[in-house]
Amino acid sequence: MQRTYTITQEKIDRYGVLNGDRDIIHYDLDYAKKRGFQGTLAHGLMVQGYANDVALAMYGEDWLTRGAIKVKFVAPVYPDEDYVVEIKPDGELTATGPRGVAMAGTATLRPVN
Amino acid sequence: MRPSDVKPREGEVRGTRFEEYIIHDPLPEMRFTLTPEVIREYAVSIDADPDRPFALPSVLCVYLMAVLYRKYPPAQGGIMAANEFEFHRTLPADVPTAIVANGRIEAKFEKRGRQYIQYSVTFRSEEDGSLIATAVNTSTFPNEQAKAA
Repeated sequence: MQRTYTITQEKIDRYGVLNGDRDIIHYDLDYAKKRGFQGTLAHGLMVQGYANDVALAMYGEDWLTRGAIKVKFVAPVYPDEDYVVEIKPDGELTATGPRGVAMAGTATLRPVN
Repeated sequence: MRPSDVKPREGEVRGTRFEEYIIHDPLPEMRFTLTPEVIREYAVSIDADPDRPFALPSVLCVYLMAVLYRKYPPAQGGIMAANEFEFHRTLPADVPTAIVANGRIEAKFEKRGRQYIQYSVTFRSEEDGSLIATAVNTSTFPNEQAKAA
């Protein structure tokens, strides 16, 4: 199962307001470029949030009580780009943007006790 | 209760230096109430359906860093490297849920010139102590900024 998400600075800002996050790497383009990035960075947990919603669609309400998600953030996620969040039948999880995979891991159900 | 109500924010105080993190140090208990408003706002913020009768369990992500930052304030420029969550209990979307979060520093290490902090968090119901979710987060904070602070 997969969905495509368009990242925007407005979405990054909105998540930051909720998250209580004031880290300038998400908002200050000059600072982000000084750190070697092409743009401001999306919040990692925002991108992981997309994957959680895809997992809910894939596994149904079992995800609420047996869900297990494990990710590594392997490349930056920038505004004004599209990212495809995909969970394969075996639980392999990726978020892939214009430069390749940005987040990789697994989204699976724990066994029933 | 919004995350900003319980979370020290970047730039408010000096960021924690790498050498100041203590492995296996318990993080102070954090109590908060997850409200229908935050559940809905979170769903909107990740392009999810805000009208479900239950919370997307990853809503707890917006409180995760606060557990660490309340004892170890962050330096500006932090980057998340990895994250794990396991969900155990459904959170209703229409009523508040009082939650108790506990955590501890699990590890710190250097890799390719970056310094990483790993910590774990357990979220439980304040009402009955039942397990809601567990998390393990790994983040890196800039060396130069932490040393210069």
